[in-house]
Amino acid sequence: MTTRVICVGNELRGDDAAGLEVLRLLEGALPEGVRAVACEGEPVSLLLLWEECDTAIVVDATQSGAQPGTIRRLPVHDDPLPDELRRTSTHLLGVAEAVELARALGKLPPRTIVYGIEGGSWDTGAGLTPEVAEAAEVVAVSIRRELGMDA
Amino acid sequence: MSEKTSARTKTIRTDYLARVEGEGGMLVRMRGGKVTDVQLKIYEPPRFFEAFLRGRDFTEAPDVTARICGICPVAYQMSSCLAMESLAGVEVGGQLRALRRLLYCGEWIESHTLHIFMLHAPDFLGVASAVELAKINPGLVETALELKKIGNEVMRIVGGREVHPINVRVGGWYRTPTRAQLDTLVPDLRWAKEASLEAVRVVAGLDFPELEQDYELVALDAAGEYPIDRGGRLVSNRGLDIPIADFFDHVEEIHVEHSNALHARLRERGSYLVGPLARYALHRDLLSPDALAAADEAGLEPVVRNPFRSIVVRAVELVHACDEALRLIEAYEQPPEPSLPVVPAAGVGHGASEAPRGILYHRYRLDETGTIRDAKIVPPTSQNQRSIEEDLHAFVSAHAGLPDEELRLRCEQAIRNYDPCISCATHFLTLEIDRG
Repeated sequence: MTTRVICVGNELRGDDAAGLEVLRLLEGALPEGVRAVACEGEPVSLLLLWEECDTAIVVDATQSGAQPGTIRRLPVHDDPLPDELRRTSTHLLGVAEAVELARALGKLPPRTIVYGIEGGSWDTGAGLTPEVAEAAEVVAVSIRRELGMDA
Repeated sequence: MSEKTSARTKTIRTDYLARVEGEGGMLVRMRGGKVTDVQLKIYEPPRFFEAFLRGRDFTEAPDVTARICGICPVAYQMSSCLAMESLAGVEVGGQLRALRRLLYCGEWIESHTLHIFMLHAPDFLGVASAVELAKINPGLVETALELKKIGNEVMRIVGGREVHPINVRVGGWYRTPTRAQLDTLVPDLRWAKEASLEAVRVVAGLDFPELEQDYELVALDAAGEYPIDRGGRLVSNRGLDIPIADFFDHVEEIHVEHSNALHARLRERGSYLVGPLARYALHRDLLSPDALAAADEAGLEPVVRNPFRSIVVRAVELVHACDEALRLIEAYEQPPEPSLPVVPAAGVGHGASEAPRGILYHRYRLDETGTIRDAKIVPPTSQNQRSIEEDLHAFVSAHAGLPDEELRLRCEQAIRNYDPCISCATHFLTLEIDRG
């Protein structure tokens, strides 16, 4: 059984790349045997990445109306993603559906943690806003701690 | 004004957004029980990419355009490669081309599976989403996961990666797989074919809302093959038959105020339809024997005009993609070189392939150094946009008496008939009804 960090996002859609920024920060900085991968968040692809995982950490951008850079840590193996992320957000919809799909099929890894980073700008071709870039650094540190490493 | 007070106005609006493939919304306005306006709003990334490509080297086009869509990156890669190669006078043939077709079959398997099982089937089975479907029919969703995984495997072995293949280049490949590597796919593809045949039987038994539309159906012509990875001509059921280089002599793109996307239409003829219904109608005889038999068994007539039955045609194409992949693997011999040399030439090049959703046309103008000076990309969804609106217009007109919620669900289902880039979004669209 394995641990996997799955970073969801689109490189070319502004703050939607928050998860991919976390992936860059984690590269070469994870415990041995832990793989970090990029994903576009399409639910079936996520389910396939969760196969054979006992711990899955998913990082994605959120669009819930909160302050850009707001970080949420959500252990979804117990509860669904909260409504404000499911209803009002385009982002995380893929992840939310994947979580519930996996739960319905008994395929959700026993420990599944979703990190959400609230984005502010989604313009095509734009880079990360500064608050989101900072939040990505914080999330990368949290994930390393979560996996038993020094920050 | 009297009009305002007397007319009963009903507005059905669905808003936003998708995660990967685009963003869109739908508006149907009715007055006094009659549909007065249908607007589909689609956000389209190609416009940004056209600008992004200018000034880049011609070899970069496949990798850059692959980022446009997470579901059909291979289509973008193939159409761009073909455009560059046509300009250089290079034809990628033999086993190099067979591998392209195999990779494209992997994409069709992935994309059609997602759409049939996870996005469209819930509409027919009266459940809100794939999550609900998994609760009432886990077997169906398990089959979808398995099929998707097999498509992924084709992409990984041929394309080098499961999403956004990295092995494709103008002129061919960075490296080619060995015969032994491809052979590992055979047992899975055989299973996938059986699962696809079963899928045809399952979806053929669904209830289809009534709607018959008189479409001009347009697909590529691939000279004796069911069109997938390439096609030199554009043909239709109304006599259109042109080389793809003449695309813009016959197709015009119109900017409409309500959408970011450009609407395509045939000059002096109007809307047209691309995708499974068109490919099937124009090239049915070129399906694999088992895919054709499955179509017959499913009761598909030679030309399907009810767009809701596209789910059955898509399942038939899934069978064909599995058969075609198996055939290509069986005939495979690893080519001595992974690619052909391509020397860029100044001028305008055209390329088109059949993305799962329909024709994807690319046009590039290069200068003598091989730098892209202009890029034009026409995706299938923008070609289908007018047909989608016309379907909605006809459907809502005929079913105006349905309760709002039912009507909204049927409208979403009608949009999903086209597997548009906004498919994922339409499960989450919200409805606004305005009674004047």
